[in-house]
Formats: sequence, structure tokens, C-alpha cells
Amino acid sequence: MLKLDRFFLLGSIKDVYRVTSSCHSPLELILEKTMEIESVDGVISAKKDKDRAVPHLFLPGERIELPSPFYCFGINTLLKKAVQKYHLSKVAVVAPSCVMDGLNKTQYYGIGCNWVKTAVALKVGVLCTGLTTEEALRCEVLDLLGKRAKVRRSFYCESGLVYELESGELLPVELEVHHRYINTGCRYCFNLSARGSDITAVPTRHANQTLLLVRSERGRRMLSLIQRIFPGLLSFSPADEEELSSLEETLRRKMLFNVDAVLERVEAGLPGPKWDGSRFRKFYRMWNALSDYNIGEEVY
Amino acid sequence: MLFSRDDFNYNDLKVKIGFFHFSSCSGCQVSFLDMFEDAVEILDTVELVYSNMLTKRREVSRMHIAFAEGAFCIDDRRHLHLAREIAEKAVMVVTVGGCASFGGIRRLSVGSQPPQPSHQSFIPLTEVEILQGKIKYAIPGCPPNPSLLYNFMLALLEMNEDFLRPFEFMAGSKDASGYDILKEVVNKGLCVGCGTCVTACLARALDFNPVYGKPTFNPALCAHCGSCLAACPQGFKPYPQPVYP
Repeated sequence: MLKLDRFFLLGSIKDVYRVTSSCHSPLELILEKTMEIESVDGVISAKKDKDRAVPHLFLPGERIELPSPFYCFGINTLLKKAVQKYHLSKVAVVAPSCVMDGLNKTQYYGIGCNWVKTAVALKVGVLCTGLTTEEALRCEVLDLLGKRAKVRRSFYCESGLVYELESGELLPVELEVHHRYINTGCRYCFNLSARGSDITAVPTRHANQTLLLVRSERGRRMLSLIQRIFPGLLSFSPADEEELSSLEETLRRKMLFNVDAVLERVEAGLPGPKWDGSRFRKFYRMWNALSDYNIGEEVY
Repeated sequence: MLFSRDDFNYNDLKVKIGFFHFSSCSGCQVSFLDMFEDAVEILDTVELVYSNMLTKRREVSRMHIAFAEGAFCIDDRRHLHLAREIAEKAVMVVTVGGCASFGGIRRLSVGSQPPQPSHQSFIPLTEVEILQGKIKYAIPGCPPNPSLLYNFMLALLEMNEDFLRPFEFMAGSKDASGYDILKEVVNKGLCVGCGTCVTACLARALDFNPVYGKPTFNPALCAHCGSCLAACPQGFKPYPQPVYP
């Protein structure tokens, strides 16, 4: 059942690497290099535009600068542009789990955009404990800090989610406060670690380091290709157990808030979506009858 | 069950399908043809017994699956005759595309003043009573993607119920529009702002507001095809999800 164990929280993982680069973010470097060797012909993600992050399609030759915190909405709106306008056939998508869910569903059914099924070459999920808008982020910082401050980047460490402010100060984020400021839909999310992607990237304390959770053979192949063609560019070291445990603990704490939000929603009698009205109720029944259900046979 | 004991024939195990055209642009049938080489994989298991575009047969013979596209015109006697024939001769009906499933662009027609087609009255096939017991699945889209139709055909032949279930829900829904995204997802606080609905919208009725992280809807452009809610990861989520040990 839902034990909120590592498998549930982090999903199926083949390898976990701590990747270090000499210059900027390893994920950005990996994406740039995959475009350079033409393994990927475009990257759908987001970039910082003035004060906020906007969805952006990076084309070969363009410098990739991903926003941090990775709070960007509407990334999947670029699928049609990439496939139908630019005729890209090997797109990489870098985004949180909600975007991956939409993409996976589009690929599985074929609903929506033609040829998306075959056009995506790499899916890089971003670990996400909930998205906020710019305004909500400002309010969250004000709530936590008691004064206004701008967030330069966010990362996950042993104490959980941390905001690095423009002043250089580190602001540990209480998940309870964070849960209040995130988008309502994100409060019901059970896929914080972007299961269903090839690689999940977790930002860490140092800007030039990233934790990569490799989930698929395709993700592993892409990383080994980069290592082979550009030796010495990135250093890969296996992540230690402590790092994974602290990450797991952060996700578990956040997941409990999300479970609580779902249970509360059902108890309040609030409706679900039109074509799948029993989704939350099904979870509610399962949660309240732990011994009666074998979740191995359930698809939620 | 496509085969019953009465019509089971060991020498003819092909699934007989037909395409029926009501009031529409025929784009859904064209979309079937756009499957290209994928269609070849299916053709040895199915037999096309009727199609106004692809065969010369005038008679509607008995069939297992009738794919019907287009809205039903209240004022057109031929439509009534065709609907009766489908109800009598098909084991199962699948409505293809927005017009047949949810009314589509025909929802914009008003009044009943022939001969102007724009002045006639149209309803989706899912609202026609004589077909209601027969319609098992409704496929959204204007037109549906060739890859969706191919996946659907495969799922139907393999009886992949996980894949087919959402289309069964859709057959019970008589209306669909961009308002669904607002009513069913955004208003209910379920929108995660991924933007999949905007990509799915073929009429560009949905746009995205990056400041609020939510889709915006222009009803004047909506073709009522149902793609947006069908594509939304919050609408239904039966694609293979991680299974827990």
C-alpha cells in the first residue's frame, strides 16, 4: 500500500549521480552538448525573462539558461511550435512532473498534437515540491523572512527546500508554509520526483552541482554519450545514501501535506474532474482501508 | 463482444468495420487515411464493409464496428434513415470527432430554416436515442489525430480496456468545449498549468496566461471537439502509471 517509501517517492531509479561541472549548471551544459552533437535538436523548457520565468524553446547554438527556482507554467504549449513550426524531431523536454504527465498522456493516447509521440528524444524531469507564481513566491519569502527579498535560486539539501536570496543569505523553507503558497493543483500531486521521465534533476547547494536520478536506458545512454564525447567536461560520482535519504525525507514530509489535501477535499465533498470523478474518492477509500487493497494491482 | 454465437464463422474471422458520414467535413475519415503505413498493420485483421469515401458499396451490410463522423441533422430524413440502419446492422458504434461525439462546430448552427445548412438544427450522435445503446466509445478531436485513431483501433482489436475506458466516459458526455477546462479543471483548483490543453486545441481557442499560470479561453474560436479536457493530465489519468510494490 502507500507506505510513502523510497519507491513511491522517488520511483524506479537505475543510477543516481552527483554531477559536477567546472563552469555553470551541469544540466544546462548537458543539454547544450546534446544539441551540439545533434542527439537533440531543440529543448523545450523555460528561461528567465526579466523577473519571471517564461516557457522557451531553445534551438541549437542558443545558450541554455534554466530558471531557478524552476517555477514556470505552460511549458507544454511549446510542443506544437516545436513539432509543427520548426519540424523538430528530437526534442528534449525539461520540466516538472505535471508537464511530464501531460506529455506522457499525449504520447500514450495521441490526443492533441500530431507526431509528439515520436518527436521527443529526452525527458528531463525537475524535482518539484509545488509551483508558485512570481507573486506567490514574493509573498512566501515575505512570510518566511518578515521582509521583502528576491530569490536567486532554490535547491534541496539535508534540511529540505532552501531559497538562496539575492543578498546571498540562505532561507530554509518550511514545507507547511510552502504548501500554502503553491498552486492549488500542485497540492494534489503525487509525483513530486517526476516519475515517467528519463532523468530527474535535483538542484543542490552548489550551483555547479546537480543530482541526477537516471530512470531509463535512454537517459543513461545520453549521459554516457556526453561522457564519451566530452571527457573531463563533467565529473560523475555516485550519490551517497545520506543524500538520497534526506531527499526522500523532504519528499515524504511534503507528500503528507498533499495526502492531507486530497483527503480533506473528499471529506469536504468537493468535486473531481468530469470524466474521472472518482479519482480522489478512490484514493480516499484506499487510504482508509489500507489492509483491504493491494496497490500493486491498482493504477491510480 | 464483437462476435456472437450466431454470426461466428471460422473461415471469416475479420472484424468488419464501416465508416459513416453524417454532417461534417469528412476530416475524420481523412484522418483515418493519414495513418499511412500504420494502417497496413491493421488491414489484415479488419475488413472495410462500408465507407462513402473509400468503397463503392451502396448497401450497408452487417458489421461489428460502425465508425460514425459528423453531427445528426434534425431536418434531414437521410440521416434518420442512416442512423436506423446503423442501429440495426452494427454491433457497436464509435463516434469519431467532435461533431459526432459532442456536437462540434455544428453547435453554432441555429434555428431550422432550410435550405441554408447554417440554419438547420444539429445534435451529436450521442444524443440520438436510437443509437444510444449502441454507442460505446466517443473519440474527441477536430479531427482526431491519426495516431490516436491508430492507437484506438489497436486497443479495440486487443480489447485493451485501460486504454478504452476514457473513451467510454466520453460517450456518456453530450457536450464538450473549452469551458470544460475552465469548469472542470481550473475552477475546481486542479489545474497545474502544464499547458497540454493549449497544445491539444486545434482551433487556438485556448491560450496561456504565463503570469497566472492558467489557460485562457476564447469561446468564439472553440470547435467543441473535446480535445482539451481529453488531453489534460488532470482530466483523467489512466495511462500506465507507476505501480507500487
